[in-house]
Amino acid sequence: MNNTIKFLLDDNVVEIDFRKEKNLRPTTTVLNYLRSLSSHKGVKEGCAEGDCGACTIVLGEKKADRKIKYTAVDSCLVFLPMIHGKQLITVENLSQKKDGKVILHPVQEAMVNSFGSQCGYCTPGFIMSLFALYKNHNNPTREVIEDSLSGNLCRCTGYQSILESAMKACTKNGGDHFTERESLTSKILKEINKEKTTIHIVSGDQTYFHPFTLDDALMLRKHYRNAIVVNGATDVALRQTKRNEKLTEIIDLSGVDELKIYDEEENGFYFGAGMSIEKMKNLCEKPFPALYNILKVFGSLQIRNFATIGGNVGSASPIGDTLPVLFAKNAKVILQNSKNKREVDIEDFIKGYRKTDLKDDELITSIFLPKPKKNEIIKSYKVSKRKDLDISTVSLSCRLVLNKGEVKEMILAYGGMAETTRRAKKTEEYLEGREWNRANIEEAMKIVKEEFAPITDARASAEFRKIAAGNLLMKLFIDRS
Amino acid sequence: MLLHESAIKQVTGEAVFVNDMDISSEMLTGHVVYSKYAHAKILGYDLKQAKALSGVYAVLSYKDIPGENQVGPVAKDELCLAEDVVTNIGQAIILIAAKDKNTALEAEKLIDIKYEVLEPILEIEKAIEKNTLIAPVRKIERGNVEKELNKSKHKISGVLETGAQEHWYLETQSCLCIPGEDRNIKAYSSTQHPSETQAIIAEVLGIKSNEVEVEVRRLGGAFGGKETQANHIAAWSALLCNATGKPVKIHLFRDDDQIITGKRHRFLSKYEAGFDDEGKIISYSVELNADAGSATDLSMAILERAMLHADNAYYIPNMKVIGKAYRTNLPSNTAFRGFGGPQGIAVIETVIDKIARYLGKDSVEIREKNFYKKENDNITHYGEKVENNRLQVIYEKILKSSEYRKRRLEINQFNSENEFEKRGIALTPVKFGISFTTAFLNQAGALVNIYKDGSVLVNHGGTEMGQGLYTKILRIASLELGVSEEKIIVNATNTSKIPNTSATAASSGSDINGMAVKNAIDILKDRLASVALELLGSKSQKENIIFENDFVFDKNKPGKKILFKELIPAAYLKQVSLSSTGFYKTPDIWFDREKGVGNPFHYFAFGMAVTEVLVDTLTGYHKILRTDILHDTGDSINDEIDIGQVVGGFVQGVGWCTTEEIKWDAKGNLLTHSPDTYKIPTIQDIPADFRVELLKGYPNPNTIRNSKAVGEPPFMLAFSVWLAIKDAISVVGNHKSEPEFSLPATNEVIVLAVEKIR
Repeated sequence: MNNTIKFLLDDNVVEIDFRKEKNLRPTTTVLNYLRSLSSHKGVKEGCAEGDCGACTIVLGEKKADRKIKYTAVDSCLVFLPMIHGKQLITVENLSQKKDGKVILHPVQEAMVNSFGSQCGYCTPGFIMSLFALYKNHNNPTREVIEDSLSGNLCRCTGYQSILESAMKACTKNGGDHFTERESLTSKILKEINKEKTTIHIVSGDQTYFHPFTLDDALMLRKHYRNAIVVNGATDVALRQTKRNEKLTEIIDLSGVDELKIYDEEENGFYFGAGMSIEKMKNLCEKPFPALYNILKVFGSLQIRNFATIGGNVGSASPIGDTLPVLFAKNAKVILQNSKNKREVDIEDFIKGYRKTDLKDDELITSIFLPKPKKNEIIKSYKVSKRKDLDISTVSLSCRLVLNKGEVKEMILAYGGMAETTRRAKKTEEYLEGREWNRANIEEAMKIVKEEFAPITDARASAEFRKIAAGNLLMKLFIDRS
Repeated sequence: MLLHESAIKQVTGEAVFVNDMDISSEMLTGHVVYSKYAHAKILGYDLKQAKALSGVYAVLSYKDIPGENQVGPVAKDELCLAEDVVTNIGQAIILIAAKDKNTALEAEKLIDIKYEVLEPILEIEKAIEKNTLIAPVRKIERGNVEKELNKSKHKISGVLETGAQEHWYLETQSCLCIPGEDRNIKAYSSTQHPSETQAIIAEVLGIKSNEVEVEVRRLGGAFGGKETQANHIAAWSALLCNATGKPVKIHLFRDDDQIITGKRHRFLSKYEAGFDDEGKIISYSVELNADAGSATDLSMAILERAMLHADNAYYIPNMKVIGKAYRTNLPSNTAFRGFGGPQGIAVIETVIDKIARYLGKDSVEIREKNFYKKENDNITHYGEKVENNRLQVIYEKILKSSEYRKRRLEINQFNSENEFEKRGIALTPVKFGISFTTAFLNQAGALVNIYKDGSVLVNHGGTEMGQGLYTKILRIASLELGVSEEKIIVNATNTSKIPNTSATAASSGSDINGMAVKNAIDILKDRLASVALELLGSKSQKENIIFENDFVFDKNKPGKKILFKELIPAAYLKQVSLSSTGFYKTPDIWFDREKGVGNPFHYFAFGMAVTEVLVDTLTGYHKILRTDILHDTGDSINDEIDIGQVVGGFVQGVGWCTTEEIKWDAKGNLLTHSPDTYKIPTIQDIPADFRVELLKGYPNPNTIRNSKAVGEPPFMLAFSVWLAIKDAISVVGNHKSEPEFSLPATNEVIVLAVEKIR
């Protein structure tokens, strides 16, 4: 299937052959594609970086049982080939016309009746997030509603009326005209997804690969060593949308199901590198509450639905949300090339500011987390200006093993304090072997402040970062006392 | 319940914004090349290569402007395109029209602008030191402030910094210009001020206003940010349209919008207050220093409103307000909901809060003691009488409904049991003057057409930006004309229909446009009444004819009715004009700027909020546990829309007070130029328990249907959040020491304040 992708839009299979398209490139975002169609201008660009949700659309994916899974994503960050084999649902698809009358979808009706729209610019995005909420939750709690809508910014309403809309609307077990068409939709998607040979798109000076098997992906990686590897592309897409960079060679792993695995073994769990952050979050709720807490405030639901754990680890950002807790958990990164597989401790994998141990013929295939040990305490904390959809100013994850009131083992992994995630080794050293009491913590707070030389930037001053780093130790102490 | 007139179109994605308009395949993308330096000489640039690039249709510099190179709305001190000096980062230098955005960006890369960098002024402190006043110092004074300060038993003084704020309308600035016959041009602009946009397009093109038509159906949010600064984008699009002869659209990229456009004015305010043992303020002196940015824009009017609100809800017998606006090398700051009011009110609320802590009293007692009274102590520092004062009634009601006193005790209990998590509570009032303080702006026009089939088209000069103006106008027209809403359409605002309008601003949209529409309808009803009398065979007077529920009848003989839609064709056949303009000017308002006295406001809007917060003193994280608001909107024209304004204004104010922090680097580059670093509230930041009510049973005299303006006043109720946070911090020092506090109270400000107090 060279140069061609297929997806479902407005109940029709749309086929895009990039050789024939003058204005579409493989890295054209779904947002820009939709806005190029006169019938789909409801979707709006508010920021082109996945922070405002005005461009939210819903993707329908075939599940095993002839059902469709509906997920909200920010269309400004999604490259067209990533929706291959999926149903693309936009705000225009929700209402129906019958006998010349407009029948609104329950979420639309609730928004109208609750005065949930004022200027209306963010409204299509909210409608789509509400639609995904409607399909996935019945009578959702306020927490679930907030979680589903915190990736949508509104500057007019103050959200109260939108919150009320969500409460009013989501009471019908997700039933609507999409449900009625589900088995048909599922059949169509199954048909599109039959073909499993790598989609190879050449368009102008761009080469784009969308493989479906790990073997194919590894071969591509071997032959195209300078290619940018993406999965959700929630980070890489910004290079194009914000910095107008030309991305010339891309390997897009989003079609590789083998990278989405979840395996439990005797010693721990393997999370496929291509697993979405949202899915990982849900899997972590019981076994890894500290990781769950961090993943809960990772981006927004739209971002979590598309961003992957492999991407977050691979980008090695100094403020990457997952890294400190992976440090604390002694996680391992599983790397593979076309011949070999190796495991690296997360601490050895992260080499510096956006630098990792990944070789140019390797892919991150999974992340291994050892099972929680009985006496180990894992905690994580994040300080950010705004609670949700905000990047950490400072974060701390720690592993603490106490023995008769004494610190036996300690890992203190900080984000936001150095050019990469960094352990506070001097502070750990000080605490190890000492009694777990307030006086020692207060002393450790002083040490940790001196251990780092953080920067002052748009998010916070160095002074604040130092104080916060110390204060997080106190939070840990209170939590464990 | 009457719904928002565009709600269905908005939820189905059909509502059209400027950027959704595809006029023709010939339409070009406009792009602006702006300064990368805060202050520099432009040594030169060469546009040849950019012009030669395939797909580029025009590359313009100031030399290509056929008319005036000027976009200043009041003072003519703002160039449309920079000439030999740039005075802020984001200042436009070159315009490009190309077949698409990518081509325009390629063309920009081919333009190498050579600069000689000069020293910028980026802080108010430095502007004060260099005395870069943008206009003469302003003063409002009553009584003998110095003498009474010296005599006062207790005195406090201090400095308060209040931060800038980015409007963050969801729809960035946009304008589409289409060339017409001769030199005519039509602009679809996302502007709050179509008439000014029209005038500025005419000026830069060197044509007359009657050759320019500006139309605005809806804006994707504005909040003041599109009052004057939409003009720039419109002027740029018009220049490119004029140069190419093709339709040109500019829709600013988010980061460019944040970098180019001005913000809410930063203020650095110095205050001194003298008071008695009970906390009654005897004398108050405040100096308000505003960061105007690189041009005047509306800074002096904003400063004026800040000065006129330095009292907020409090009667202070001796009061002196000094206002200064300084030129800096940042984009020219501009209107933003509240228009200086928030900056003036922040200072007096800080003073009240400090007095309470100083005297060891609850701050509500200090507030109550100082409120404007009904019979005496009711004249503001600029001489206007506070009439129809609702402060006492709101205060009594909200104190009770919020259970303030009981919760204060519970909070004290909680705080004594928790070392690091602290709760705080605060009640804050707002008294906000309604009218443009520039008196002549308080005028509005309307044009109401009735067609032969009985359908009605209403035109007025206000713009719909989400505040629900069209919905209110529809309601007003329906009630005044006695015709059901489905027979009426409120038309897109258009300068060819309604000329010489004022900006939709100062919360005045429905007040003045509603009155103008009523005036037009009154004229029409007078004409139609004669016809009705004939049809009814009545010898009664015209005044007795009632228009109601699509019927027309004599109030003395209500049994005999004719349908409105039957009256209209009859009137047409009798050669009665079915179209009328309407006009309104707000009566009896004036202000003498030299003397600092006058009656600048038609009336005042009042409201109060009580907010309780939980603060984690280790991380600075805070949560709004509960907010109660009681707000006065007179007889509301639409309760749901007014509540939407109260809630939306409050939450926008919460953003300004807490997470919305604007930072520049040492060269004047905006660091917070996208939502990645600039944090407006999300759904998780609103009060967990949010109880909003409108004050009922208090009609507002002499306004359209006894209603009251609502757009801006609720913004200032967010001070209840800001001061509740301060209250919580203050617990750390047992309310004995004054926390070091500024606005916004970010988690950083909170943690640093706690660190100092601990």
